[in-house]
Amino acid sequence: MTNVREMELFVSSVLRLGVLTSGILMITGIVLLWSTGDTSSPLGVLEAAWIIGGSPFLEPSHVLFIGFLVLISTPLLRILATTMAYTRMKDWIFATITGTVLVILLISITLGIG
Amino acid sequence: MTPLLMLYTLSIALGSGFLGALLGLGGGVIMVPLLVFLLDLPIHIAAGASIVAVVATSSASASVYVKDEITNMRLGMFLELATTVGAITGASIMALTTDNILKLVFGLSLLYASIVMLLQMRKMNRSWEMKSNDWIANKLHLGGSYWDEARGETIEYGVHRTLPTFGISYLAGVVSGLLGIGGGGIKVPAMNVVSSVPMKVAVATSNFMIGVTAAASATVYIRNGYVDSFVTAPVVLGTLVGSFIGAKITKKLRGVFIKRVFIIVLLLLGLRMIVSGVGLA
Repeated sequence: MTNVREMELFVSSVLRLGVLTSGILMITGIVLLWSTGDTSSPLGVLEAAWIIGGSPFLEPSHVLFIGFLVLISTPLLRILATTMAYTRMKDWIFATITGTVLVILLISITLGIG
Repeated sequence: MTPLLMLYTLSIALGSGFLGALLGLGGGVIMVPLLVFLLDLPIHIAAGASIVAVVATSSASASVYVKDEITNMRLGMFLELATTVGAITGASIMALTTDNILKLVFGLSLLYASIVMLLQMRKMNRSWEMKSNDWIANKLHLGGSYWDEARGETIEYGVHRTLPTFGISYLAGVVSGLLGIGGGGIKVPAMNVVSSVPMKVAVATSNFMIGVTAAASATVYIRNGYVDSFVTAPVVLGTLVGSFIGAKITKKLRGVFIKRVFIIVLLLLGLRMIVSGVGLA
């Protein structure tokens, strides 16, 4: 990515891909839910072990929750992409601004502020 | 959550997403009260589902706007500094509030939003005045230009009074996190009226920011156990489809009357929310 336009087009496809993937996961989760009737653990948790596979494989609520996480990570990926692009363009002020937003989001997720 | 209840949830989200797109809002402000009153869901759970749906609709439409080159990405990313911190603040306050207080705050916000919208409809063609960049905008190169389809010309604009808009963006983030809505209704007028950014750019840029803002709030909602998978999935899917159809139709729809009716519905929902929050219903 060497110019802004290229970055914008990349951002656009990141956003679309994220929404599509999570949509497919959510539809899969609902189909699983209706076919198995398994309504256990409706509330997901932000813990790596559980996210990666701590619950029974293909448990409907788990699939749905992964769908939400993909969705929520989409803007995060977008920020990461723009931070990298601004760094490469040597636009240090904006690399710092987008980098700070990224750090705020990551802190909110990992340290559990709030 | 039974299949029937999920179907009801899906229908409410579809309708709210559709109406939201017609009114130029996210579906959240309509959907949260409907989920609370029609399905008897706790408001925290309704707001949790809504905030995830906000991420979805924002990302979906931002991908189109960014392509159209209307979005001012630099301005958006600068203001995101304020909205994300605001969102985390708001969502943290949400986790501490009771059902009734949250209903009251939500109702008052709805009342405020609908009155502002009714007033705006009167002076729809208010002329917009181009201003030059202030010193912050100048340093950060926040001004921009876009191709205006309707006018058939490239419009250049500056960003005026950057600091007040930055502050208002923080508040918009707080409201977004607190109520599980996008908060575009606060950011768009701030950019347009305070900073003299053209309306189309303000709408696209606000929408671009909302995804990040809502993602920040959503993590707080998840951690506090307010994102119920079986409520959130139909809400997200319904809102996505509903707002997609609404966005297609709104280009052809010019009926001011219909918009006015919807705004009055919003006003009534707000009043109902207040009554319920005070504990009278």
